Parts: sequence; C-alpha cells; structure tokens
Amino acid sequence: MGGVARALLRRGVQAVLVAVLVSGLCFTLVRLLPGDQAMRVAEGRYGYDRVTAASADAVRAELGLDRPAVEQFLAWVGRLAQGDLGVSLVTGERVVVEIAYQLGHTLLLSLAALSLALLAGPALGLFAGLRPGGVLDQAGMVGAAALRALPVFALGIGLMLVFGVTLGWLPVAGFHATENLVLPALALGLGLAAASARVARDATVAAVNAPFFGFALLRGLTRAQAVRQHVPRNAAVPVLAYLGVNLALLVEGVVVVESLFGWPGIGHALSHAISARDVPMLQGTALSLGLIFVALNAFTDVAILAADPRRRG
Amino acid sequence: MTTSLTIDDLRVSADGAALLRGVSIRVTPGVPLTIVGETGSGKTLVAEAAMGTLAPELSASGWVVLGGTVSDAGDRAARRHLWGRGIALLPQEPWLALDPTMRVLPQVAEGHRFVRGLGRSEATACAREDLAALGLANAATRFPHQLSGGMAQRVAVAAARAGGAPLLLADEPTKGLDAALRDAVVALLRGALQEGGSLLCITHDVAVARALGGEVMVMLDGEVVERGSAEKVLDAPSHAYTRRLLAAEPEAWAEGELPVPGAEVLSATGLSAERGGRRLFEALDLTVGAGEWVAVTGPSGCGKTTLGNVLLGLLRPAAGVVRRRGGLVRTRYQKLYQDPVATFAPRLALRTALAEAAALHGVAWSQLAAMLDRLRVPDALLDRRPDQVSGGELQRIAIARALLPDPVFLFADEPTSRLDPITQQETMAALQEISRERGLAVLLVTHDLAMARKVAGRQVTLRGA
Amino acid sequence: MRGLRRIAARGQSPARLLGATLVGLVVLMAIAGPLLVDGSPTRQDLSAVLQPPSPDALLGRDQLGRSVLVRLVHAARLSVSLGAATVVAAAVPGILLGLLAAWAGGWTDRVLSGFGDAVLALPGLLLVLLVVALAPGAFWPLFLGLSLAMWVEWFRVTRAASGALLSAPAVEAARLLGFGPWHVLRRHVLPEMAPLFGTLAAFGFAGAVMAVGALGFIGIGLRPPTAEWGLMMVELLPYYDEAPLAMLAPALCLFALVLGLQLLAGRDPR
Repeated sequence: MGGVARALLRRGVQAVLVAVLVSGLCFTLVRLLPGDQAMRVAEGRYGYDRVTAASADAVRAELGLDRPAVEQFLAWVGRLAQGDLGVSLVTGERVVVEIAYQLGHTLLLSLAALSLALLAGPALGLFAGLRPGGVLDQAGMVGAAALRALPVFALGIGLMLVFGVTLGWLPVAGFHATENLVLPALALGLGLAAASARVARDATVAAVNAPFFGFALLRGLTRAQAVRQHVPRNAAVPVLAYLGVNLALLVEGVVVVESLFGWPGIGHALSHAISARDVPMLQGTALSLGLIFVALNAFTDVAILAADPRRRG
Repeated sequence: MTTSLTIDDLRVSADGAALLRGVSIRVTPGVPLTIVGETGSGKTLVAEAAMGTLAPELSASGWVVLGGTVSDAGDRAARRHLWGRGIALLPQEPWLALDPTMRVLPQVAEGHRFVRGLGRSEATACAREDLAALGLANAATRFPHQLSGGMAQRVAVAAARAGGAPLLLADEPTKGLDAALRDAVVALLRGALQEGGSLLCITHDVAVARALGGEVMVMLDGEVVERGSAEKVLDAPSHAYTRRLLAAEPEAWAEGELPVPGAEVLSATGLSAERGGRRLFEALDLTVGAGEWVAVTGPSGCGKTTLGNVLLGLLRPAAGVVRRRGGLVRTRYQKLYQDPVATFAPRLALRTALAEAAALHGVAWSQLAAMLDRLRVPDALLDRRPDQVSGGELQRIAIARALLPDPVFLFADEPTSRLDPITQQETMAALQEISRERGLAVLLVTHDLAMARKVAGRQVTLRGA
Repeated sequence: MRGLRRIAARGQSPARLLGATLVGLVVLMAIAGPLLVDGSPTRQDLSAVLQPPSPDALLGRDQLGRSVLVRLVHAARLSVSLGAATVVAAAVPGILLGLLAAWAGGWTDRVLSGFGDAVLALPGLLLVLLVVALAPGAFWPLFLGLSLAMWVEWFRVTRAASGALLSAPAVEAARLLGFGPWHVLRRHVLPEMAPLFGTLAAFGFAGAVMAVGALGFIGIGLRPPTAEWGLMMVELLPYYDEAPLAMLAPALCLFALVLGLQLLAGRDPR
C-alpha cells in the first residue's frame, strides 16, 4: 500500500524536524541562560560547596563551551545523533537512563487515556447520534461540552478531591498498583473522550443522513441492519481524523497530569527540568514527548488509511 | 391484466397548496411506464408516494395498490415492508448511494442476505452472479470511488434488485451522465423487464422515454396532461404542452441560418494540453471569426473545457500558441459556466454584483436594465442572492453580466446542460440572437450532438486519449 | 424554556447566547473589576489568613491573607488581555501569510507551508514550554510562545479555505470580467472566511487562556505573587478543606470563560 509508506515517510520527516527544533531551542536556551554554564554543570556534578574555578574550567574544556557557537551546536547535534543525551545536571545520572525508566510510566498513562478516548467516547457518541435530540444525546452533549471546557488540571483536582479525598475510593498519589492509574488516566482521557464523543455523534448523524444509508433502507434492510452495516466504519473516519489532529492535547495533558499526580513519567520530569534549568534533561524529555507525539500520529495515519479506502490512493 | 403497481387519485399538498392534483398510474409487467416532466411538475412526488418516502410536512391522499395490498397513499409506513421485496428504487446519482467504505460485492450481497434471508456464503455467491450478469465480475472487490459513473449505476441496480423486488423504480436515472452513457442506462433498465419484472421511470429527458418505449405519461404542474403508448404520445402528441416539450428537443429545433464568420477574433495553432500527465489533445489548429459558432464535442473527460480555458488564457497549453485579435483587451473574451450559482459571490445580492461589474466597464445601469429586460429577467429577482433564483434565470443574468465588457468571444461551457428542455431552448435562442446582433463569436462546449449540429457552423470533436 | 425555543427557531442558538453571556461577564470582570474592587492583589494580611468571606473580602482571603476577589479580578484582566493579545498576534501573520501562500502558490506556498509544518511538528504546549524556559515567570515569553504556537493554525486554515475560494469559478469569472485582487478579496474571499475567523479566534482565545492556567499550575508560567487563576488554584490546593470557595473560585472563572468561548465558537473548525 503506497498510502501507508507515504504517511510513514511524512512522519519520519516530522521526527527529524522535532529533533532539530528541540535541540535548537535547547541550545539557544543554554546560551541565553544567565550565569556561567560551566559553573552550573560543575555544581551539578560536584555539589555547591566543592566547586572551584578549576573544575569549572575543566568542564568548559570537556564540553567544548569555549569554542564558537556554530561549532558547539554541530557538536551538540552530533552527540544527539549518536543517542547521547548527556547527563542530568540535577541527579548526575545519564539522561537516557532516566528517560528509559520514565517512558514506561508515560506510555501506560497515555495508552490508558487513549483507550478511554477511543472506546468510551465514540461508543457514547454513536448511541447519541442514532437518536439525535433524545435524552442520551442532550445529556451526553451537555456533559461533553462541560468536560471540553474544563482544563486538565482543574479536572484532575476535581477528581482528586471527589474520588480521592472526600469519597476515599481511589488513591490520589503513588504509581505501583493498578488503582493508582485510574485517576490520572481519567484526568487525561476524559477531555479527549468528550471531544471524540462529540465528533462521533456528528459523524453518526451524518452517516444516517447520507444517501448510502437511505439506499440501504430502500433496498429492504431494517434500520438496525443498516446501522450495523454502514454506520460504524463511516463514523470512524472523522473520529480518527479528529483524534489525529488533537493528539497534541494528549501530550500536553501528560505534562500537567503527571505533575499533578506525582506520576513518575516524562512529563513530570520535563516540568522539573524547566524549574531546575536542567537543560540536558529538558532536551531529553521534550524530545521523547515530541517523538511519542510523532509515533501516535503515525499510528493514527495508518488507522485512517485502514478505515477509509478513498485515502489509499 | 395483472398490475404490479396502481396509484389511484393521488393528491399531495403542502400548506394547502396543491402539488399533485389527482394523479393515477398503472404499471404492468413487461411494459415500462415513463413519466416525463420538468422540474416542479411533481413527477418525483409520484415515486415518493409509491415508496412512502414523502416528506412529513406534505399531506397526501389517494390509494396505492402494491404487492397485492391496498394502502392509503398518506400512510408512509404501510409500504415499508415491501422495500427491496416488492419495489426497488434506483436512486438519483447512484455513485453517492453506495457506501464509500465498503467493497462492491458485500454491498450487493446485503440484499440477498438480509432481505431474502440467505446465508452469508450463499448471499455472496448470488451477488457474484448478479455482478457477472451485468459485466462487472472484475469490479467485485473494488470500492465505489474506483468505479466509473456507468459502473456505479450498474452496481446500484444490482444492489437495489438483490432483494428480489419485481418492480424497479428509477428516478432521473440519466442525471449527471452524458449522452453516450444514456443508451447504456436505458439498456440496463430494460433488463429489469425480463422474467415478469416491471419498470417505472421518471425523467425530464424525452430521449429516455423514446428509447424505453412502452407507456409514457407527461406531467405539468402536478397534473397528467397526456398519456398513452410511447409512439402515440411522442409522435402524435395531442396536448399543447407535450408538443412544446418535444419541440424543445434540440433535434426538433428549427434549422436557422448559420452566421457567416467575420474577421478573425481568435486563432490557435498547434495546441496541446495535458491533465495529470495524460495528453488531452494534440496539434490542434482553430480559428474563430466574429459572430461564428464553433461547437466542441466529445466524451466526458476528453478535455473540452480545458480547450476553452486554454483559448481564454486561463490555462497554459503544453504546446502551441493562442493569438487574440490585436488591440483588444482581455476582458473582451468572456465565459459562461455550466453552474452559474458558483460564479457569483454567494452572500451578495445580484443587483450589487451586477452594479459593480457595470461600473467597472462604464456601462450605465439603464443599458444593463434594458438587456436584463430583453432576457426576461424580472427586476425584483435582482434583490435576491444567487441561490435564490432558478438555474435558467441565473444563467440569463450571467449572460447579461458577461456582455458588460462588450465581448467579441464567448466560451460557453455546457451553459444549458442543467436546465429543463424548454428553458434550454429559450436560453440558447436568446444567446443566438445576441450573437447575431453584436457579431459575438461563441465557442460552445456541449455533449449534445444534436444541439451542436443545430447552432454551430463548425464542430471540433475531441476523441479523448 | 419556551423563550429559548423561540430564540432557537429564529436561528440564534441558545448555546451561543449562553456563550456570549459567559464571555461577556468575564470580560466585564476583567475590564471593570479592578476599578470596582479596591485593593492590591499582592497586599498580604497575615492576621487574616484563610479568612472566610467578609464585607471587606467578599470571597474570603487566601493563605497569605490576600483578598481572593481582588486577586480574581486581576487574574481575569491578565488572562483576558493575554488571550486577546495572543489571538491578534497569531491571527495577523497567520491570515496574511495564509492568503499569500494561497495566492502566490508555487515556491512561496511550499516554503511557508514547510515552515508551518515544522512548527506543528511539536505539540503546541511543548513549544510554549521550551520558549517559556528562556525566562520563567516573565510575561513576554508566554506571549511569544503562545503566538508562535498558534499562528500556524490561522495560517493553515486561511491557506486551505482561501485556496479553495480562489480556485472557484466565482473568482475566475471575476478575474475574467477584469476585477482586481482587492475586489476578489473583498467580495469573494473575506466574506466567506469571516465566520471561520470568528470560530478560530474563540478557540484560540480559549486555548491560550487554558494554556496560561496550565503553565501557572505546574509552576512554569507566571510565578507568585502574580495573580493568575492556575497559580491561585495550586497555591490554595493544600487549604481546600479550610477555604474551598477560595480554591473553587478561580477554577469557576476559568471554566466559565472557556465554556463561553467554546459555545460561542460553535463547531471546531479542525
């Protein structure tokens, strides 16, 4: 299938763009940050009290910070290309090792949220769309509108206070047991689920009003048969397309939700890295989130191609 | 004689205004019945009443006898159980009526499986036979967007009839198809008459009625004005409206005097054009003189419109040169479109659009008003938006607009193909008259060979690649 | 209820009316609030920490004894002005470049679209985070980052919509009649795109306001003692038990503004 190859190639280019963009911004960041960078690195390595001008100079020479900017940037990108993301200024651990640990947590959380958005949302939207103006439609759409307008962090706090503190049903922090996953996944996924419910509802209404649905009825199929045969696949295409465009919301939500629930993932590490001005860690985490975004986009592309033969070209 | 569908004294009205005033029809097996009428004659309402798909805001009375049972025409649910089993509808523009995400074979198999109640594999086998019988064996695994218009039509017929309904109802089956495909559709519809089947066809195209034969009914303003065998109605019409309708067919147009070409206004030498890497035409030479009519004909997709656009300078040719007469500004070369609605700003009142164009070319409003009057465009229409006037009226307004720059050459791209026959004849007559007066050269793109013969002194036929 | 139906029948959806009301209220609060409610948003009164609502602080006081109402209206002013400024800063270049790309086509279009794709390669908030990291706590990188992330949406929508309009027969006919680019823009392009721009502006505004709140909340955007809704919520989170109203109020304001904008916008243009 040529369409799939083309989509994957496009996403490959996007991945390279992400790498260039993130490393360029991080490099600029290093040069713009106030204070002596070598000194900060040395502090990170040896501790505030034991750092000396000599050790700072050693770091400067080691990292090539005394050479021209262009040369430094090329060296920076060169190291990145070899998979060397450097060493965290805060923990002293290699960034790759830190991220390898965090990645699993982030993926678990994202996939849990995504399955909520892909299963619960569209199913609800489908039933609402089959009876537009019905009770489920009206109640569901009011709920969806409210959920879409609630910022992820406010939703997270709300869930935390209601289910975690007041009712005491679920733990608000921790990350070892399955029930720890419930609240963060809800906080991250509910907004997306609401949006995809809305899109699925409109797509269902459109499919039921489409000429091919009317033709199915005129050919003698019952309404239930026509719905089963012709609605889900046609409604899936806009839902997937919408989700593809809005995956950015998922990645953005990861940063907020992980910070709120103390979930030890990449997003949490990213917000820490910014506060601590830990540039290697910032670059590593931003790059990872960017690449997760690209990978999810690639999956959506392939799913859309599978659902819609017209796009296969 | 047995009848497969009888409708007795069908009356339909909306808010007290009568749309159908007592229409009765009788369809017998083996004899096609064709209802001919223009837009707004109510012919589609007859089909909708038979199926029970009339819009809920319409009130209907009368009787429908279908599948051996009698029911009230206003009772929409009464005939629902006969859909696919007793009566099959071939929809307008069938390429839109197929599910775009489903392959052809399972769509046809649905009728066998869900309506006839066959098992899945048996249904698929039946569908395969249906497709093979229509010459579509190779198309079974295709998706609808991979079908040509004619193939989609055949698939739709197979899908519509899979449930085993003996009566086929076709509503404007040739809409959107060019003349070459029309005959194939007629053959396809006649196939429905085999093995005791019946056919009710609804069309605005007299040629379809003639090709189908059998019985013909002519409708005007919600009433049947004439009915009888095809030979009687079409060859010896008794009602004035039928005569007018038949006279509006291009074959019947008067053989007028064709204008003598004047001084050359446009010439092209060695023209070639491509679309999507495919050569459309090659080494084409063409000279158009003042007042001359040149018709461009050929199958759809052969590059007729492309040729006109190249001559106007809207497209660059792959090779060759187009020369306009020296000293003439480009606005003296104008264009008329197939769908005039798309050529006006959608939210702007027509009066404003025309006034701005008139001002641009220094034409006084009174002059423009006189032209509009001559084209029989009522002044009150100008306060509407383009989508609020009929296609014929808007095309006449578009003609008045195109005349503002005092053109010497007009590229008319199927300007009447979406109009009813009588409106088409009137519009073409007006255009011919204006062309004669002003020495306006016209390049007419059309798929109607008869029309091309009647109006143009010269024809360019593109073969297509 | 019958009144609402009558409005709906007149073509004005009740949802849109509710949206306009909510947005109007918050904008009014942003403009008139700081004039009506006296006091500084940063003045502390450690003797009145977490005080319940009283005549001189209608919504109570926060963990540092600052009036929640005063902080709320200043935060409204901040969010509304940042949102509006971002929409303008994103819309102007986005629309102009989108029109340019659609009109010129060819290399101009390819270069501009490539640039847009590059910006979109990263999720918007990630881009904002990286820009904000340049100077945490300051107003300008927040504004810069948001505008940088959001102009692409305007560019892409304008390019796609105007491209379709420019290649339509109406524009071809107008050009054949001799009308110039300005007429085409004024009569054929802009009137068709106006509703789209309205929707984009509302969604962009909502997005910017949410992003500012989210960044404040994770402690990366604006910093204490600035009055900002997200920041206020995170500061008051530990005291939700003692002062629930103080924590709930900023969340409600943010919710009302975003919901209002989304209802006003109608359908998502993407």
